[in-house]
Amino acid sequence: MGVAAPLPVTDRFMEVLARLSERSVEDYYNPYQTFQWPETLEENRFWMTPELLTVFGTEHYDRLGEETLQRLSKWESVNFYSLNVHGIRELLIEVVGRIHMPGFEVPSDFFHHFIGEENEHMWFFSEFCRRYGHKIYGSTAMRADAAWEPEIENFLVFTRILFFEELVDHYNSRMAKDTSLCHTIREVNRIHHQDESRHIAFGRELVSLLYQRMCQAVSAERVREVEAYLKRYVVYSVNSLYNPHVYKDAGIADPLGLRNALIADPARRAHERKAIRKPLAFFLKTGIFSDDVLPVL
Amino acid sequence: MADGLQQVKNWILERHPERQDIAPDLDLIENRLIDSLSFVEFVFLLEQESGVSIQMETLEVDAIRTLGAIERHFFATSGAEVAQA
Repeated sequence: MGVAAPLPVTDRFMEVLARLSERSVEDYYNPYQTFQWPETLEENRFWMTPELLTVFGTEHYDRLGEETLQRLSKWESVNFYSLNVHGIRELLIEVVGRIHMPGFEVPSDFFHHFIGEENEHMWFFSEFCRRYGHKIYGSTAMRADAAWEPEIENFLVFTRILFFEELVDHYNSRMAKDTSLCHTIREVNRIHHQDESRHIAFGRELVSLLYQRMCQAVSAERVREVEAYLKRYVVYSVNSLYNPHVYKDAGIADPLGLRNALIADPARRAHERKAIRKPLAFFLKTGIFSDDVLPVL
Repeated sequence: MADGLQQVKNWILERHPERQDIAPDLDLIENRLIDSLSFVEFVFLLEQESGVSIQMETLEVDAIRTLGAIERHFFATSGAEVAQA
């Protein structure tokens, strides 16, 4: 991790950093006092916007019936917040490993806000899962990769964080506005969306700089390997929403069969593309992706 | 070879058409036949084929490092020995 090369910072980067740090201080809130957690949430209604369910747009959506769909929306929402818990847990490890280390002098101050806010998000997401689902779904992450060069690893860490935040934000912003959802669910999503808008703005600036630094440090062939890996990461992240354990909890027969069917169903692609539209456009604009063709895992 | 284990092997071979076969002691991770991005698909398949519920947080990587290890840990005839810490 100890990379001595300084970040190729620009005036724009410094301005964005100063503005976002200021907003983090001004918008600071105590999450432990922000939410009113009712004892229970109503079971016979949607916990997630129906259009965001993994079966939406397929024959399964019509086949399952309202009662099962509502049950599915409960467990898909617990899965969504669980993915947030594990995603944040993993990204915190990486950011803590880089704060006040060579190569990250400039953004280290903002990292303090980032780490603090992410810890609080992890708390309220885990609180939701434990209160209303009585569990957090397990992590699916596994360290089983050959090592990358440090400059690639730095780039990948913050690019994965950015992609994850943008994907989650698609769901947050939609559910925050969905008046058919209960107040608690809307609030959790609204507050996260509000904080994440700062993190995403920061992430886009940082990833652009890290991309430049990586391209100078490694061969063009290696950069293409990174692109191929990131594209697989995009598909992997989208696929993590199709959790067979969720389908089982919702009382659906052949849960793994449903996951495989949905992942293979062309009707799902348009909905997935909608969820990843913004980060994909960013990857194309910056040259991180040379095209928008995604692989099948 | 147990039918379930054969399914697991076929799943890997489908994703690596350059390979004709996989030796029981071949390191699947070192040889990049499985990595962190395909791992989750692999574990879901292993759960289905073996009937063993797998907790990924406590799964020991060595339990899935080779087909031989997978056979011992998930397809042993004496009942499923769950390879978790």
